[in-house]
Amino acid sequence: MAMVRTPLMFARLPVGGRRLLFGLAITGICLAVAFPVLWLILTSLRPESGVYYVHRGTEFTLASYAEVLLDERLVQAFINSALISTLATIFSLLVTVSSGYMLSRFRGPAAQTWFGTIYVFRCVPYISWVLPLYFVAQSWGIYDTYIGLLLPHIAVHICFFSWLMKGFFDGIDPSMEHAALIDGCTRWGAFIRVALPSAIPAISALAVLCWLFTWNEFLFALILTGNKVPVITVVMAQFVTEMGLRWNLMAATAVMALVPAFLLALFGQKYVIRGLRI
Amino acid sequence: MAAIVLDKLNKHYGSLHHAVKDVDLTIADKEFVALVGPSGCGKSTTLRMIAGLEDISSGEIRIGDRVVNHLPPRDRDIAMVFQNYALYQHMSVYDNLAFGLRNKKMPESEINAAINRATEMLGLHELLKRKPRQLSGGQQQRVALGRCIVRNPLVFLFDEPLSNLDAKLRAQMRIEIKRLHAQLPTTSVFVTHDQVEAMTLGDRVVVMKDGRVQQAGTPLDVYGHPVNKFVAGFIGAPAMNFLEVTIAKEGDTLIARSPAVKLAVTEASSRALEAWQGRQVIMGLRPEHLALGDGVVSRSFAAKVEVVEQLGSEILLETRVGDTRVTAARVPPETIVAAGDQIRLSVQPGRLHFFDPETEMVIAA
Repeated sequence: MAMVRTPLMFARLPVGGRRLLFGLAITGICLAVAFPVLWLILTSLRPESGVYYVHRGTEFTLASYAEVLLDERLVQAFINSALISTLATIFSLLVTVSSGYMLSRFRGPAAQTWFGTIYVFRCVPYISWVLPLYFVAQSWGIYDTYIGLLLPHIAVHICFFSWLMKGFFDGIDPSMEHAALIDGCTRWGAFIRVALPSAIPAISALAVLCWLFTWNEFLFALILTGNKVPVITVVMAQFVTEMGLRWNLMAATAVMALVPAFLLALFGQKYVIRGLRI
Repeated sequence: MAAIVLDKLNKHYGSLHHAVKDVDLTIADKEFVALVGPSGCGKSTTLRMIAGLEDISSGEIRIGDRVVNHLPPRDRDIAMVFQNYALYQHMSVYDNLAFGLRNKKMPESEINAAINRATEMLGLHELLKRKPRQLSGGQQQRVALGRCIVRNPLVFLFDEPLSNLDAKLRAQMRIEIKRLHAQLPTTSVFVTHDQVEAMTLGDRVVVMKDGRVQQAGTPLDVYGHPVNKFVAGFIGAPAMNFLEVTIAKEGDTLIARSPAVKLAVTEASSRALEAWQGRQVIMGLRPEHLALGDGVVSRSFAAKVEVVEQLGSEILLETRVGDTRVTAARVPPETIVAAGDQIRLSVQPGRLHFFDPETEMVIAA
């Protein structure tokens, strides 16, 4: 194992001093990252009149949460976001895992063409997809439907995550699958029964990333959905109205939208770390 | 009955890389054949073609009485041990052993009996519930062997199975494989780059280089009668010494001469060398056939010691003869010799090999 060398300027400090410095640095970084979130939570707990004076005043209320939860459209947006994130994760993983496997194990025209295709799409800036997608969705009659939002998400996931998956499979010894072929499996059987179980940490990691990506996604949702399929990121932005900004409601929605993502990241992080390490 | 026949076997990768060239080989039923050669010589590719893991570019492979060219690996009735064990990481040792049998839809009671037999043979009983990553390298390779045995296949294929083990374990596993083959005589092909493994395990050794079979024969045959300079240099450790000499006639006898060496050629070799009079050839001398001391003058030459390697059981001497390095082995360990010493090395009669300097094929041995 490689020795981790302490930088010279710290090496002269006593161990206690080094720990203190490290602790301070970590605390500083955590505070910097957590500050906007804490501010958001604080804002969500203030009455409407107090949102511009979050740092002053002592009046706290849960009224914003109540208002948000009583709004049918917002509840529907939560359900939609959860549903679309979950479905996009499932469907894109189905393709991503097998496509990553193919990129890792097979050579030949089919694999090369596929490689080229997703490479090109990956190189195109994300934002430039949006307008063509809008026209396609319109002409296919899937604008403002589940499917109209799901398909682009799945496509993006496939292009972005096939690469990660290829990397995972590159790290798994192919001779295990060769042994399975000799032991009576078909190529497909070797993939399902031997390669796939070994890739479970990686697949879990990818599932977490896919879900979070879709849950947080704003641009596609903004352009490809209207009133029929509201999703949480878009609805949140709609608190900017002609009558003004409803900061407290926006903050309450944002905090609630944070919860599932936060929980998933909390419980999923060990898979993500383990999976990405393979 | 499962002989393996390779008939004009070829493997191309694209148009540039010709990995296996016209390999003809017949492996008899229950024979243990070791394929040996330097890396990139095509031995592993040949094995993987027998296994069905690589497509064949041209030629034919028969196992038993079936042509298997287009059969998938699972239908060839073979078992294979891989260099990195290739155990199914997510399964217990028991499930690893049972995997192939379950695929054959064998009843669980029979699977259990087969696994019991194999574990008894290999001493795996205590490991059955463990996962592969909880085992040492040696144990993993034993499980991999067990996975082959339980299947009771027509053919065992070994792809450098001992390369990842340390030297001591490698020697143990070598014996274990030899013992297994004696208990369960099955046609086996063993690929290795280690000539000691090939020599000790193989009923027959097949030496390959650049995709071609150089020589196939018993271990004694390839050691004693190498057909070319490559085989001569590859088989045997330390490697054979090569000296450039000119064939000349002195009186009635042929001699091999260089500025530093003058050796009489035995009568048996003389006949073949007669035509080479006045021409240069390459002479091969095995280190273990060189002895310290004068002996007969016509069979010895002067050498300058450069390095002394004391092995306890013998001394290896690196010497310089003219401008050529010559290694001598089997020097008695109590011999007092130091770097810089001038010594004489004598060679046992009939131990000289001669090769054509252009084709590198053997002229006489």
